[in-house]
Amino acid sequence: MTLLQVLLIGLGLAGYYALVAIGFGLIFATVKVFHIAHGTVFLAGGYVFFIFHRLLDFPIVWSGLAGVLVASALGLAIDKAIYLPVLRRGGGLFSVFIASLGIALVFDSLFLVWTKGIASVARVGNLQILEAGRIVVRLIDLWSIVAVAVICGALYLWLHRTGTGLRVRALTDNEPLAAVVGVDIGRTRNAIFLVASALAGIAGVFTAYDTGITPETGLRVLFIGVVAVTLGGIRNLLLGTIVGSLSLGILTAYAGFLFPTWVTLSIFLMMILLLLFRPQGIFG
Amino acid sequence: MTSASSGLRVERLAKSFGGVHVFEDLSIEVPPARVTACIGPNGAGKTTLINIICGVLRADRGQVLLDGRPLDGIQPHETVARGIGRTFQDVRILPLLTALENVLVAIPSQRGERLRDLFLPWRGVGAEEQRNRERALALLEAVGLAPVAARPAGELPFGQQKLLALVRLVATGARTLLLDEPATGIEAELHPRIVTLIRRLVRDEGKAVLVVEHNMDVVREVADHVAVLHGTVIASGPADTVLKDERVIREYLGRLYA
Amino acid sequence: MLFLATLICVWIILSVAANLVVGYTGLMSMGHAGYLGVGAYTAAVANIFLGVNYLLTIPLAAVVTAAVAVVTVIPLLRLGTFYFALATLGLNFVLFDIFLNVGPRVEGTEGLFGIVLPAGLETTGARFALTLLVTAACVGIAWRLVTAPLGRVLRSVRDREDALRALGKNPRGYQIAIWGVSGALTGVAGALYAVTLFYIDPTLFTLNTSILVLVYIGVGGLASIAGSILGPLLLIAFTESFRFLGVHSSLAGPIQQGIYGLLLIGLMIYRRQGLIGKYDFRE
Repeated sequence: MTLLQVLLIGLGLAGYYALVAIGFGLIFATVKVFHIAHGTVFLAGGYVFFIFHRLLDFPIVWSGLAGVLVASALGLAIDKAIYLPVLRRGGGLFSVFIASLGIALVFDSLFLVWTKGIASVARVGNLQILEAGRIVVRLIDLWSIVAVAVICGALYLWLHRTGTGLRVRALTDNEPLAAVVGVDIGRTRNAIFLVASALAGIAGVFTAYDTGITPETGLRVLFIGVVAVTLGGIRNLLLGTIVGSLSLGILTAYAGFLFPTWVTLSIFLMMILLLLFRPQGIFG
Repeated sequence: MTSASSGLRVERLAKSFGGVHVFEDLSIEVPPARVTACIGPNGAGKTTLINIICGVLRADRGQVLLDGRPLDGIQPHETVARGIGRTFQDVRILPLLTALENVLVAIPSQRGERLRDLFLPWRGVGAEEQRNRERALALLEAVGLAPVAARPAGELPFGQQKLLALVRLVATGARTLLLDEPATGIEAELHPRIVTLIRRLVRDEGKAVLVVEHNMDVVREVADHVAVLHGTVIASGPADTVLKDERVIREYLGRLYA
Repeated sequence: MLFLATLICVWIILSVAANLVVGYTGLMSMGHAGYLGVGAYTAAVANIFLGVNYLLTIPLAAVVTAAVAVVTVIPLLRLGTFYFALATLGLNFVLFDIFLNVGPRVEGTEGLFGIVLPAGLETTGARFALTLLVTAACVGIAWRLVTAPLGRVLRSVRDREDALRALGKNPRGYQIAIWGVSGALTGVAGALYAVTLFYIDPTLFTLNTSILVLVYIGVGGLASIAGSILGPLLLIAFTESFRFLGVHSSLAGPIQQGIYGLLLIGLMIYRRQGLIGKYDFRE
């Protein structure tokens, strides 16, 4: 495998990380919730996609849509059913974090039980490849890069050209002030969770199609997303997270190539060092 | 030590945040056995002054001297060892500890707080703790807080919390006390206890007290010396004189107590 | 049965160690399992490869783990509560990878075994007695710490660091000291763990285990020594009952995890201080 090949794989991976990371960062920057269960939402999207397409024989696009819809609904439901009650009853953001952990554990256990019976790796796709000279490019990677680019463009327009987007950006800067000025925190919060969860759902669908998903994938992708957001910084969310995800995708690909058994350590060591020395990230 | 060089002295202090000048050329003396009150409008930097003295903030210019020696680069947790203690405007008592524990934790140099001494029975940890308890209880009794000694401090009304904060400051044994609005926001019935306590600390124990206050009744009752802060010290002198000063009344007292 | 009792004792020590830093001092540690691994590997390596008498490996594990704990926590103490927790979580993963890659193992297997026990400890009964004794000592030490004036200071560090500073005491020193004590106790737990299981491998020291400890003290009660005993006792007994009920072993793991997840959620919404805990954290 040439270095360029590895680079391409890295870019392909970066696409999924970026979607998850942007969603996570969106929630963290605005309502300050460390949404570990975001990884669960990601998995839900993928598993629903798998169920619809592989088990119920629905066409691919409809199955993917189902996955995204379920993921969005799940993300919103988690906030309304769990996070808000914790906050209302005097818990702080840290309690929400632990509750999120609890949610991830519960769903993870459900997925574990389910996959023992049905499929250990939920994988949908038949991969096609293109060859250009000595480089082999997978069609799915091209699709994902295009899809991610389109989605990021749409996100940018949403954040900068719509009323809701403006309110979301107001929350990033200063929630108490935003509330005073009349931003409807409730509705905006819902929109944030819906959009972020949809992004995770899309990533889940893509990953299920591409490499397949197991219950562990959720937490792994989430933490890579966390590091990507930390790396990029939340000041300039879209740009920072994309750059962070790209860097991380490439780094993970190379690390996986050069010292595969140290990849996890590298990622988390980088996270710790970032927290200690540059918590605001590259663009902070 | 001559009286000129003992006690706390602030010389030509200047501080601004961003482009906002809080104060400049600020000089105040806080000698022992005297209550020095610092009054002035909101935002004049009275709490900032205390923060600078205690090392929480750094002044842009000027210096703080204790007994003639500069307090450069002091860290907040080192102030008590140098004999300076402070209270907070927003109280900051430990809500989950009882009132008694709040006072106990303020007593410095406890053997029971050192890991090593806890496991060596001959170090007398228990006896020292007993003595400290009695002392803390006595302090609480002196201000009428003994009945609530065993209640979690977070459950006490605001006024009692402020009184508790004052008591724990006394427990530290600091010689120079910086009180940030000790009477603001608490019921009038509790004022006499505060005034009595401050007077006793100054007259009987010779402590140097700086009181930052808005409540002019308390200032009138307790202050020996008043400094008016508004950009800089615009008036300073014996309490009677300053509080009757035309300009001060017009500029500051008038606005507050029209 | 004795094996189970011994295991519960080990978890009690670990829970007490975790509660000291989490419940009393407000330092949320999400990676204590990493330190458990340090203790276990230290004891195992010292005994198997260096021939150290097992009884001596217990204090050795305590010292080494305390040292590792203190060194790893010092740079993290300036982080806010939240990022501190995240960093300890990252630390767990870092230590895990180190165990995975560099951890000694018996040829051809994933793990390490072959601890040589000194005479008199060959029976499970003897090992239980030893564990019980050590557990009692650890609980006693922790109890002494928290009921002494030191306990007061720790709770002040937890509740209002700035107020404690204004009273002339530096929170940093206390945080480091208690983290070291917690590390020492965790190291002891690790050494006992290695012998109780007879076999250790890196998968015993993952994030899952760290979360397990947090669930034990979260349920039992934060800032409560009794709670640190109650938690593991109740929960381990509870999960063991699954076996008696005939639940298939491959299902038992996920079910246990699911229940713990539900417990965490329930605790955070309804009772953050746990059953008999004294710290309802509002962070």
